Amino acid sequence: MSDKIYEVFARKNHDGALVHVGSLNASDDELAKAYAWTMYDEENWVEMCVVPRDAVIRVTHDRKIPLWGN
Amino acid sequence: MSTQTAIFESAGDLSAENRTNLRNLLIAIADTKLLLGYHYGEWTFGPPQIEAAIACCSLCQSELGHVRLLHGLLNKHCDEDPDRLVCDRAPEEFANIPFLDSGIANWAGLVAANYVVDFAVTTLLYSLKDSAFQPLHMSLEKMLQEERYHVHHGKGWFRTLALKNEDTRTALGVACARALQDVAEWFGPPEESAERQLLEAGVKQEGSSSALARVFAEIGNSADELQVEVGLHKSNDEWALVEETAWQDWDSRSRRVRQSQPDQDILYHLRGNKNEVFKLS
Repeated sequence: MSDKIYEVFARKNHDGALVHVGSLNASDDELAKAYAWTMYDEENWVEMCVVPRDAVIRVTHDRKIPLWGN
Repeated sequence: MSTQTAIFESAGDLSAENRTNLRNLLIAIADTKLLLGYHYGEWTFGPPQIEAAIACCSLCQSELGHVRLLHGLLNKHCDEDPDRLVCDRAPEEFANIPFLDSGIANWAGLVAANYVVDFAVTTLLYSLKDSAFQPLHMSLEKMLQEERYHVHHGKGWFRTLALKNEDTRTALGVACARALQDVAEWFGPPEESAERQLLEAGVKQEGSSSALARVFAEIGNSADELQVEVGLHKSNDEWALVEETAWQDWDSRSRRVRQSQPDQDILYHLRGNKNEVFKLS
């Protein structure tokens, strides 16, 4: 079982944006949830999510025009 | 299950026997949490991941908070001095789960402490959640809420070590088997008299046998799913220890069948003896 990188997102208020607050390493989704809870506890978040970095689909990078696959 | 509906606002409303029974039980829980906090604190350095180190630090912090709360109850209702409980007792007076008596040698041991020992204490606390002794009933909600995180972390690492390789799975099984034996010893024999009195008064709402069965079910089902040998077997849909506990020498105050106690070295560090000169009172 190898580690994956997860991105952590959280929301301060119900009408606020879900913002990126950091990253972490974990061997699975359940430990990623546990770690996010202790590592990024500086606010009383109304919502917190973790996303495997592999699942993030990049649209653009370094201000380049996206490649649309055609 | 309780046979009466009286509620108790203070320990003075309880019978003399149940005041002693309650005191002994709260001390056993607080001692276990104190030692758990110590080991989590020790493992703030050295876990396989920095994320796990931060988690251990958080687990330590919440266990010590629970100790403070339990010592507050013991102080107010059982006339126990928290400083005496931590600093001025002989090691043999401690009533913690014996698994925590010595240093935890490896990460598999810490995972066993987290998933088996910590979960076992929490399961016992659930049997006090609706206690007729109101001060306890009012204190447990936040504690149990925090403990949900503890078991989530422990279970996550149990799964991780079980799936990593044969060596980690074996080390995990050995540590958990020992932890389960020690937990069973601490829960005590079925139909034990102090427990029966607490149940009859409604101070406890669930007997230790039933609570222990829930601990075995949680760990047994996880171990079965992940093929970890933890010294449990399933019979008639119930998990039980392969090696049963011999109860004849069980002591209801220390909750042990053997002469054992926390290491002096651990108590020395836990009490801050080397900083005696800096103490503020």
